[in-house]
Amino acid sequence: MLEWSTAGPAVGAAFLASLVEVVEAFTIVLVVATLRGWKPAVMGTCAALCVLTAIVVILGPLLEQVPLHLLQLVIGVLLLLFGIGWLRKAALRAGGVIPLHDEDAIFARETAGLTAEVARQKTSQDWIAGIAAFKAVLLEGLEVIFIVIAVSAGRGLLWPASLGALAACALVLVIGAFAHRPLARVPENTLKFSVGVMLSAFGVFWTGEGLGVDWPGHDLALFVFAVLLLMAGLIAARIVRRPGKELAG
Amino acid sequence: MNIFKDVLAELFSMFVADARLTASILATVSVAALLVGATRLPPLAGGAFLLLGCIAVLFLSVRREAMRRAKAK
Repeated sequence: MLEWSTAGPAVGAAFLASLVEVVEAFTIVLVVATLRGWKPAVMGTCAALCVLTAIVVILGPLLEQVPLHLLQLVIGVLLLLFGIGWLRKAALRAGGVIPLHDEDAIFARETAGLTAEVARQKTSQDWIAGIAAFKAVLLEGLEVIFIVIAVSAGRGLLWPASLGALAACALVLVIGAFAHRPLARVPENTLKFSVGVMLSAFGVFWTGEGLGVDWPGHDLALFVFAVLLLMAGLIAARIVRRPGKELAG
Repeated sequence: MNIFKDVLAELFSMFVADARLTASILATVSVAALLVGATRLPPLAGGAFLLLGCIAVLFLSVRREAMRRAKAK
């Protein structure tokens, strides 16, 4: 029986992180679809999903061979590097030190870039557009795979975490299909802040367990770590906030 | 080959977005490992160091980057 105090944070982290990554990939796929039609966009996306599936199928059984403590330590450290990196960037964005992620601006930039690339190359224009969609989905998908594997490692939570990621994909696709424009109103920095907090909390938890620390309260310690890291991120953003810069999504 | 290079660059940037941040986190984990494995302190002391160390690393990294960018303007 799945316990929600165990599965909840893993599913939540996988869902929110995937939401951020899928929104970014969707913007590029939409650029391709707008410029060259849905055929190369869908072909590129499907090809990338096949490669990502192959990576999961190959990597999944290999990870089961690694001793649990070593797996927890390695994934914990990688989560710390990844999660604190996200949290740092989100705090800097919230403080107005670096600009917020703007999907509309990215859409315009990618459209201009792909138009120039298509004009320059002599190969099939649909092929170039398809490769652009392939690369976007593959690169963002790699991050999703890492997050899903990392938050579920050693706990038998791979399926619930994968379902969280798939739910995020479905949500973006449904909203994207109706909106038919970049999902610029998604509060991306707030999501990144939340995901950075969750991944960092998982990182501290797994690294500690990998080193042999028996956390008091076991899984509940994750919530305490998340609260402390959230407070730290918010205070850091407040300290560096530039006058006149608003805390925005 | 371009795609392969991009994938490798993406994987690298996932974990090493900022070299000093990466080095600080690895140093914190190393000290926590020493506290747990090489001292007579209870393992939880190493865990507490890990948590507080990561929070300190986050603070210092955000502050350093903000100051760096302010100076560059």
